[in-house]
Amino acid sequence: MFTKLPEAFKKFDLSVDVRALLLLQKAMDRGLVKTIGDLYNVLRTFIIKDPEHIGPYTKAFYSYFLDINIRPNERLNDAILRSQTFEQWKEVNFGRIEEDITPEEWVNRFLDQVHLTHYDIKEVLDGKELWDKDKGDLADEQEQNQEETPNRPLDRMADYSDLSLEELMQRMEEVMKQQQSQHSGGSHWVGTGGISPYGHGGAAKDGIRVGGSGGGKMARKVLGDSNYFPVDLDAVLNDNNIDAALASLKGIVEETAQEILDVKETIEKGLERGGLFIPEIKNETFDKLQVLLVIDNGGYSMHPYIKAVQTLFRKMKTRFAHDLETYYFHNTVYRQVFSDSQRRKVLPIERLLSKDPNYHVFFIGDAAMAPYELDRTSLNTYADIKDHFKKVAWLNPEPIKFWNGTLSTQIIKELLPMYPLTPKGIEEAVLEMNRKK
Amino acid sequence: MADTTFWDGSDHYLCDKELAQAFHIARTLGMPLLIEGEPGTGKTELPLQYAASQQTEMFVYPAGSKSNVEQFVAKFDHVKYLRDSQIEILNAQRNEKGLDTKLSSGGRDTENLSDYVVMGPATKAFSQPNSVLLIDEIDKAPREFPNDLLYALSHRKFILPESGKVIETTEKDMPTIVITSNREQELPTAFKGRCIYHYIQFPDAEKMRLIVSKHHPKVSNKIVESCLDIFYQLRRIGLERAPTTRELLNWLRYVKTFSTQEALSKINALDGLGTLIKTQADLERVQRQFGNASEQSFGTLN
Repeated sequence: MFTKLPEAFKKFDLSVDVRALLLLQKAMDRGLVKTIGDLYNVLRTFIIKDPEHIGPYTKAFYSYFLDINIRPNERLNDAILRSQTFEQWKEVNFGRIEEDITPEEWVNRFLDQVHLTHYDIKEVLDGKELWDKDKGDLADEQEQNQEETPNRPLDRMADYSDLSLEELMQRMEEVMKQQQSQHSGGSHWVGTGGISPYGHGGAAKDGIRVGGSGGGKMARKVLGDSNYFPVDLDAVLNDNNIDAALASLKGIVEETAQEILDVKETIEKGLERGGLFIPEIKNETFDKLQVLLVIDNGGYSMHPYIKAVQTLFRKMKTRFAHDLETYYFHNTVYRQVFSDSQRRKVLPIERLLSKDPNYHVFFIGDAAMAPYELDRTSLNTYADIKDHFKKVAWLNPEPIKFWNGTLSTQIIKELLPMYPLTPKGIEEAVLEMNRKK
Repeated sequence: MADTTFWDGSDHYLCDKELAQAFHIARTLGMPLLIEGEPGTGKTELPLQYAASQQTEMFVYPAGSKSNVEQFVAKFDHVKYLRDSQIEILNAQRNEKGLDTKLSSGGRDTENLSDYVVMGPATKAFSQPNSVLLIDEIDKAPREFPNDLLYALSHRKFILPESGKVIETTEKDMPTIVITSNREQELPTAFKGRCIYHYIQFPDAEKMRLIVSKHHPKVSNKIVESCLDIFYQLRRIGLERAPTTRELLNWLRYVKTFSTQEALSKINALDGLGTLIKTQADLERVQRQFGNASEQSFGTLN
């Protein structure tokens, strides 16, 4: 089951492996998944490995399980309101009752139901028990309530704790089948006999009000907040090539704090002590690798390569956590670079040039610009950088065969050693840098 | 794990609903919970408070730049071992010379290698059913460290050095493992894959009020409100290092030592700013933006 899930989530740049699916199975066995809200929560802890994944995950979840597809630049509210799932949910749960509710309120109700977890249900049930104990004459009231509730579906609450795993699986399979025949109006989990706590299938416990449970709030927040979709972080890394290339950097790298036995010292001290050998420990040190990354993140010409650059950047960040500095520029470097990707915080080139000359400097950019942009100031800047830092390389995401087609690329190539932004290119650049030690 | 009941905080600790659920999922599945989030959002508090409220034993391993698996799992004490074996020789020599007194090796036996194995927090936690094990700030450890833990995490098994003894636990008895990270470096994917992941969202004003009331229940509402107001303003202006929950609580601890009226004027004058703002650049920036208010208040105070 859920065999199509990895594929569907891949479209949102989320990797779901077999382990996650097995874990989901296990979580179901242990009774962690009883509502669709639970499913959202449980799957989230398996799939999300980074705060930036939350937005894409929520999108993927809505698309896969609820058939609500959020178009680019569309808000969740609108996506829900135009979806068939929502229509059906409204139909099944509220029928023809004309209620004076604003679209926002509908969306809120919908979200609260989708994100209802069994923890919420339990909370409500516990609360009710306490209440029961307090009031002796409750029995009558309860009956009254029950008579009223059929007309007020929102007050109804399903408790799926009795549902066996097989039943749950069966329902999910049905849902999957429905999903395959999407165009025949196949609706998903909410509204029909799926996992909806309000559907007609469940053993509903009457007379308990949900009253704005917390889960839905999160989705509203996530999908309303542009911070969850930062442009330059959408990429998910699985490009093992780059890993391999960066491994070649590792040979010369990394200061570690491994302790090793100092054999020479142990023997000498042991002899001094008249044959009492006590192991002497020393810290194992390697050369430090300091990396400066200067990235061209502006201009349309760089757009097609943003993904490749991000991949490299993230990998680098993983590997050189402590000694990696990143700066940005637009098209070409004049007397300044920027320390933030929005290019607002200026760093004068002199400051850059005051850094340790042992830094490895990587420029990443297509080096394509109008000839007048590459003026004397810019050329001098490159010359200064090359003078100061011995290890400089320019990584160009454009295929080599196009390099000679652009004048500015040709000029820069003469100034700085240029390599293609491929694992092989990086490896060559690094080998060349190492030679300059 | 024996105890898989849902736990959502104690009297002194407000556990975020989502965090509580992730924690529950982790315990039910017998997997470590990896918590990431801004500093000062209560990552480390979770296991501490959980252990305290469940009255179980707690083992902490604070990771640092020198962390290695040896410290975490177990270490073989070579020095002691050498000393004891030398003592054996010495004792034999003394015996030969007719001396009765013997040098003591403290009850350790060089034949029994286990006597020289010093157990680290991990093995201690694994041999103590249902304990809590916290690996704090794993992002500060060298990159090899999380990778070296992979086997132990997925097999629930440690092999002790030299003695070869295996410390193993079942899924039922396994300790509750919580790992925290400030994201100073990315953790390996393989490692994250073996954990239940949760990212702590920064609490909004509503939740912050609850957190504050758990820590400083006696502070008047007025003070809390004006503190929160300034606190969230400071977070919004995009400082290099925005103040976090921890800083807010410290600030409140300072202002609550005054009477309400005095405290309010202190808050408006941004008195005790040092508890909130931690870099020089930020301090200058705040003074530029909130400058007028503080000057006025200082004028009246002095």
